[in-house]
This record gives sequence, C-alpha cells and structure tokens, in this order.
Amino acid sequence: MLILSRRVGESITIGNDVVVKVVALSGNQIRLGITAPRDVRVLREEIFNAMQEENRAAAAAPDSNRRLEDVGKQLRSKTPERNDDE
Amino acid sequence: MGKEIFFPTGLLGFPSCQRFNFNRFNPGDGSASPFFIFESADQEVSFPLIHPDFVARDYLLQISAEVMSSHEAQSTADLVALLIVTMRDRVEDTTVNLQGPLIVNTGSLIGMQLVVEQYPLRYPLLVPAVQ
Repeated sequence: MLILSRRVGESITIGNDVVVKVVALSGNQIRLGITAPRDVRVLREEIFNAMQEENRAAAAAPDSNRRLEDVGKQLRSKTPERNDDE
Repeated sequence: MGKEIFFPTGLLGFPSCQRFNFNRFNPGDGSASPFFIFESADQEVSFPLIHPDFVARDYLLQISAEVMSSHEAQSTADLVALLIVTMRDRVEDTTVNLQGPLIVNTGSLIGMQLVVEQYPLRYPLLVPAVQ
C-alpha cells in the first residue's frame, strides 16, 4: 500500500482524472472530497462490500423457479388488492 | 421489455456482466407473477427482480443530473426502477434490495445499479401480518 501524508486542503491524484482532497479533520474523522469521472463509482468500502455480497446472494440458485413461484403466491395472499398485470 | 439492456459499469460483484435480458417470470402453473428474471448475456447468472410498487409504497428515488445523462435520459419518465430479490432457505425470509435499485432507460436500453444509502439492503418482502 502506498502511504502519503497530506495536510487539510491538499490533494492526491489517481490516474488521469481522479482527485482526492482532504477537506477537513476533526478528531479521528477525515472528510474527503473526491472528483472522478461519471463512470467511476465512488462508495464507502463497507457499502461496496455489502452490495457485492447481496448481489452474489441474489444470483439465482438452481431450484429458484419453484421457490420464486412460492414467494409469488405468498406475496399475492399478502396484497390481495394488487393485481399482477401491468 | 425482452430487449438487451447495456449496463456499462456492470453490476456490483459482477463487473464483467454488462449485457442483460429482462423477461417476465412465468410460473409453471400459468398464473401471473410479479417477478421478472434479469439474465446476464455474458455469464451464466440471473436474478429475480420486482417492481418497487409491490414492496414499499413510499419508495422514492432522487435521480441526479449525472444519472440522467449517463442513461441518456431526457426525463425521469424514461426510467424504470426494479429491485433485486434475494431468496433464502425459507420463503418468508425473502428480502428485496432497496439500497441497490436497477435503473433502466427503456428508450436507450442503458441501465445501472444505483446505490441509495438511506434505504435498507435487506428489506423483507413478506412482512408477517400484525397480530
């Protein structure tokens, strides 16, 4: 891991178009400002990891069709006022 | 739907999956179903999806100008939100990912997974009835 020291107001650049700036410091918390192109997703690491895990958990299991039918039936009985048609 | 949707940034955890097909889920018994099947054309993987109306009535998304332009959308009316369903061992434990909605432009056929931190990652689809 590359480790750099920066003061408040100073920045680092990553590649050609990502800039990370130290905006403020209070106690053990640091506020960062990030400038990046639109197609670069910037997330807190724990959110990124949780979302990856959830997507992987959602990737359909082999017997998913039958289970999805069961879930659909239960959902229908829960919301009888709602019609399934578009 | 039935057309291929392009996700330029892939799906979180599946970065190489960029091309997907949406199809309505058709149960074997011929009944109607609220689910869609979101199937990758790049990798053998698929996800059940559901429209937010079936899940939470007060589910609202703020669509930023950046998201609008990355979808090549003129108006939010072009965009459809769909939620990924996670099935678990017990039917009643099924959850819906409100934090990571898929936003699809039905005109340009471009999609992305948004991250909306104020909504839960695992929202129960089948909330037990209040006794």
